[in-house]
Amino acid sequence: MSLKRSATARKSHRSRLVATGAVALSIGLALTGCSGGLASGGDSGDSGKGNIKLGMLAPFSGSEAAFGDYMKFGAQLAINEVNADGGVDGRDLELVTEDDGCDPTAAVAAANKLVTAGVKGSVGGYCSGATLPTLPIFADAQVPMVIPAANSNELVGQGAFMINGTGTQQAESAVKYIKKVGAKSVVVIDDNTDYSVDLADSVEKQADGFKVVKRESINPKEKDFSANVNSVLSANPDFVVWTGYYQAGGLLINQLRGGGYDGPILVGDGSVDAQLAAIAGPDSIKNVVGTFTRTPDMLEGGDKWIADYKKVSNGADPGPYSIQSYEAVKTLAEAYKNAGGTDYDAVVKALKDLKDFPLLTGDLTFAADGSREGGGFVIVEPTGEDGAFVLKDDLKS
Amino acid sequence: MFQLIWNGLFVGSFYALVALGYSMVYGIIKLLNFAHGDLYMLGSFLAFVVLGGMTGLFGLGSIPILLLVLLITMLLTGGIGVLIERVAYRPLRTSPRLAALITAVGVSFTLEYAVRQIFGASPLVFPIRLQGAPVEVFGARITMPQLVLMLVAAILMFLLQRYVMHSREGRAMRAIALDQKASLLMGVNVNKVISRTFFIGSALAGAAGVMAAAYYGTIDFLMGFVIGLKAFTAAVIGGIGNLYGAMLGGIVLGLLESFGTHFLGGQWRDVFAFGFLILFLVFKPTGILGERVVERV
Repeated sequence: MSLKRSATARKSHRSRLVATGAVALSIGLALTGCSGGLASGGDSGDSGKGNIKLGMLAPFSGSEAAFGDYMKFGAQLAINEVNADGGVDGRDLELVTEDDGCDPTAAVAAANKLVTAGVKGSVGGYCSGATLPTLPIFADAQVPMVIPAANSNELVGQGAFMINGTGTQQAESAVKYIKKVGAKSVVVIDDNTDYSVDLADSVEKQADGFKVVKRESINPKEKDFSANVNSVLSANPDFVVWTGYYQAGGLLINQLRGGGYDGPILVGDGSVDAQLAAIAGPDSIKNVVGTFTRTPDMLEGGDKWIADYKKVSNGADPGPYSIQSYEAVKTLAEAYKNAGGTDYDAVVKALKDLKDFPLLTGDLTFAADGSREGGGFVIVEPTGEDGAFVLKDDLKS
Repeated sequence: MFQLIWNGLFVGSFYALVALGYSMVYGIIKLLNFAHGDLYMLGSFLAFVVLGGMTGLFGLGSIPILLLVLLITMLLTGGIGVLIERVAYRPLRTSPRLAALITAVGVSFTLEYAVRQIFGASPLVFPIRLQGAPVEVFGARITMPQLVLMLVAAILMFLLQRYVMHSREGRAMRAIALDQKASLLMGVNVNKVISRTFFIGSALAGAAGVMAAAYYGTIDFLMGFVIGLKAFTAAVIGGIGNLYGAMLGGIVLGLLESFGTHFLGGQWRDVFAFGFLILFLVFKPTGILGERVVERV
């Protein structure tokens, strides 16, 4: 009996502890947020003077922590450029980052903190699951939102504007490619996160000319997927789609190859990172492609952009969503200029009115629901230096 | 079918190695050492560092170098385990068990985020990756590295079994597990034995970490969390505090997962594994090799 009690007690105590910790943390965050807001006083009501604060929620801790810096430096580069051009009506932009840890609870606390700090725009959002609950907070506080990375369909039509194409648009290009290579039986694997399941659902829904013979889910916190690999192989597919992130993706690809699957594998944009090849290993990464909005190294003028980025990032290379974060800031700055200030309604109207705004990843126009028209997804493959993804097929034909 | 069994055995042998440490510590001081999974993580990171230094000296070897790294890492993780016990658990030994339990959670987070601060949040690619051409045995694909790793795991478990069951020090451990106070009165150096237990348990977790890193090829600072829970589950299924139980529990859990995933789908893997944990806790808390648990008030 003692065992039973202590074991169950241990479990419940851990969760209780985590819960208490989370509450304590949110209180702490709220307090610091409040004091920040009080200290900066008149700043939160826009006096038309001082810096315009842009808030960015991104994961700086947890398993997705690597993406936080990619996004932060991209946004900072754009802000430096806007400020060097004289800012918005003579006011400088200023970036305020908060850690959402890719966790909805932490994200809500962090969003509240940004609002109390008096941000006039939100240019963050990486994990769809963490971004979703922050939308009403920013909307209530009348903070215009331009989301650089998160692209779940759940986010569409909630008042936010999206730089990255949606899951539906991404799935469209994936389906186009699968048809192009003539695959017939496809297995779709997700990692149980919002973004991944959404993209996998979209691919399954839009399947046309081929059949999704099996849907598989893995737990990205594990390292051994042999059981899943077994189940995939038993379906005998001639195409595999992975919609999760690169950390687990690399391992999964390696283990699929080890299990004897040699066919093509298509990964979603969350896996498009040079690390995917490093984790999967040089032999396993062959015949892998990804859907992605264009990255700087595929673009004209991309070299200069990368060089500029490295100045901001202390020499680190840009990663996924660096350029989308850069463009989110540029887009919002353009909207401020067109709106003649930071008034919420005017800025939102200015964002809606943007027509073919030239950006590195292509001209941008927002659809009525806030998503990006066209999405701009292309097919990339990890054949560049050190496994970097390069353009393979722009799906135009 | 044979592939399912093989996968289960392979994953199970890792669970078993980690579960042994859990079980030993619980058996002796009735503490669920929450930081145990993180020692597994720490093992892989230490091996990463040691290997960096080694390959500078000897060039990039494969299995012999890795075995040497394994040994060094086991000593290091074992040492850290002893240190953790000394700093975090010993001062609380007479406190209510809950205090030590919460401390263990704290130690777990401390290890995780210390490693994150030092090595960064992104997964690191391990410099050696053991992979060989698979051989077909009864329709299952088996690779040489898998065989070697399972062999190493089996050898470690065998040595541990010899040590605990057939040596003086092992007898001291078993004595303390039965009655700490009486052992003290009989002249057993309790602190020393507990330190030794932590050393062995941690070293085994470290060894599992090194082997997993070399086999799967990546390491990250959160990799110990899930395996910690799984090892706990394995220990409970086998009968916590029981040496053979931990080994058996690891293998059984590996097989359960392998078959469960096959028949229910990958989404159900963890539901299935932890569902069994609950079933065991409710209906047979002493596990398969049901050891009598004496209620001490």
